[in-house]
Amino acid sequence: MKHFKLPDLGEGLQEAEIVEWHVQAGDTVKADQLLVSVETAKAIVDIPAPYDGVVVKTFGAPGDILHVGEPLLAYEGEEDSGTVVGRLEGGTEGPQEDSFFIGAAPSSREHLAPRASPAVRQLASRLKVRLEDIKGSGPDGLITRADVEAAAQGAMAAFEGEKLRGVRRSMALNMARAHAEVVPVTIFGDADLCRWAEPRNPLVRLAQAIAVAARVEPGLNAWFDGQRMLLRTHEQLDLGIAVDTPDGLFVPVLRDVGNRSAEDLKQGMARLRADVQARSIPPQEMMGATFTLSNFGTLFGRYANPVVVPPQVAILGAGGIRREPVAGGNEVEVHPILPLSLTFDHRVVTGGEAARFLKALVEALEKP
Amino acid sequence: MSDKSYSLVEAVNLALARAMEEDENVVVLGEDVGVNGGVFRATLGLRERFGRKRVIDTPLAETMLGGLAVGMAAQGLKPVVEIQFMGFIYAAMEHLVSHASRLRNRTRGRLACPMVLRAPMGAGIRAPEHHSESTEALFAHIPGLRVVVPSSPARAYGLLLAAIDDPDPVIFLEPTRLYRMNPQPLPDDGRRLPLDSCFTLREGHDLTLVSWGASIHETLKAAAALAERGVEAEVIDVACLKPLDLDTLEASVRKTGRCVIVHEAPKSGGLGGEIAASLYERVWLDLQAPIQRVTAPDIPPPLYRLESLYLPGVEDILAASETVLDHA
Repeated sequence: MKHFKLPDLGEGLQEAEIVEWHVQAGDTVKADQLLVSVETAKAIVDIPAPYDGVVVKTFGAPGDILHVGEPLLAYEGEEDSGTVVGRLEGGTEGPQEDSFFIGAAPSSREHLAPRASPAVRQLASRLKVRLEDIKGSGPDGLITRADVEAAAQGAMAAFEGEKLRGVRRSMALNMARAHAEVVPVTIFGDADLCRWAEPRNPLVRLAQAIAVAARVEPGLNAWFDGQRMLLRTHEQLDLGIAVDTPDGLFVPVLRDVGNRSAEDLKQGMARLRADVQARSIPPQEMMGATFTLSNFGTLFGRYANPVVVPPQVAILGAGGIRREPVAGGNEVEVHPILPLSLTFDHRVVTGGEAARFLKALVEALEKP
Repeated sequence: MSDKSYSLVEAVNLALARAMEEDENVVVLGEDVGVNGGVFRATLGLRERFGRKRVIDTPLAETMLGGLAVGMAAQGLKPVVEIQFMGFIYAAMEHLVSHASRLRNRTRGRLACPMVLRAPMGAGIRAPEHHSESTEALFAHIPGLRVVVPSSPARAYGLLLAAIDDPDPVIFLEPTRLYRMNPQPLPDDGRRLPLDSCFTLREGHDLTLVSWGASIHETLKAAAALAERGVEAEVIDVACLKPLDLDTLEASVRKTGRCVIVHEAPKSGGLGGEIAASLYERVWLDLQAPIQRVTAPDIPPPLYRLESLYLPGVEDILAASETVLDHA
């Protein structure tokens, strides 16, 4: 746009009031054609077009006062942007309202964030304390290290619950310790008990089968000291038997399983179980297991990932016996199946050893 | 009458006319400001309207211009000097630094120096290198000088009127690149803007983009691009470079914890460093990331083919924003 500005009307007059426009935006005008009539302090003056062109815009409506030098009318075309060396870009975005806040934005004035040093922020994030929830005790509300620590203490105190005691406490500690140390791998296998006269209550047979398997693969009937990297295999199988009680998990030990009769084992187990239920079992009766059996299947469940408790290196989980379809000669037969899970510590037991152990165990179990 | 739209240079013209209308002590002087209307047409029509005694064409001699203005101001006039390009300003330095800035102090308040020195500033118009510089930091370093840089027609209008009112010398630097860019509706109501305040152009909570002058243009574009990515940037136009409105900057950076400073001047010794240091003094406890500066390199403005590489661009601002946002 080229601007035509209100020219000097002579006689020192500095302003004029628009009386009437004779052209409007879009008109093509010739030089000297009448554009607008204005009234000065002295007279009505008709202002002619300075040159030919197309009017883009007129400034001011009748009654408006314009000063000499202010834009009166805009022509189509490039504006005179001066005698500068260089080029001034015009806008492409068109007229826009300019809006701004003098000084800070309202949200900045209202913002009241917690103030804390980076080290204190780090501490708060580690202790999972929200700085927004703390009232700082330092200068100007600065949150201090002590404030964060106190808030963390308060949060812990606010966690309501019952303190674990006794057997449950040792379970929590031992399981966490075992989980942190052992590299557990579990293999699963089934024993087909179709040749058993009465496929129920497999505990004694399981104990005996473990003893058989331990003779085939003694590496699983062993203790391992991971700190000192010492491995000790056992001649004798002292079998820990997991017993569930309302007070938690007890694991009494059935000694020398491989060299005892079924009847003897049965009586031993019954005595241990009774002692556990009566809470009269001496502590030494629950120490020194070389392998553990969890017969959780008497309650419910099929397979599991039982936890190997060091220094032992393996544990057997026995699921519930189920009647399942089995492929016979050319037809489907229904057999009692005992699902087994053998978890071993892969730091010292290989997959091959574990597989051979489980195979020997299943073969022993499947005998009539 | 609805508000007409004015470009930044037209807003300067409007403010000059208004000031001359209001106060007959206001005089405009400089090279080609009269008959020619100024190289950028900032003084167009003023000579016709206010006469040759108040709109004075001077010889091509900036040293004299500086001295003349100091003398006029000390004796009660309100001279508004135009320097054609910032690169020509240094000849007047002696008068600005040794006299204008300290006349009040030297005479124990007996004399003051209510002058305004206007100069175009910055690159981006394909002009030679001494027409393209941004040496605002030189003036901001001098105690006793105000340094003001408008970045929109409305701020040019309100700040120039306030600068002319001010009883002490003001260096008023006009971003050449914005002179005719994007005219905006502006009421000629004579309203002054404060000379000691930043302007918050865009409110946001995620980071603070601080800039002034022509770089405001790229900074606002970067903020719009960030908004498309879901990042709400606050944009602050510092506008008054001396004295700095640190309270506004502090309030914003306390809120966002992240700050990028954008200026067209070279980095070393630039005002970005001054602002960053002041913020570290005040808000380090609230910072989530180290403050970043996006500036021109430490070289004279190149010939225009390389200008776009020299000027801080939208991509540079976005990269710096990412750096401060990456700190969790």
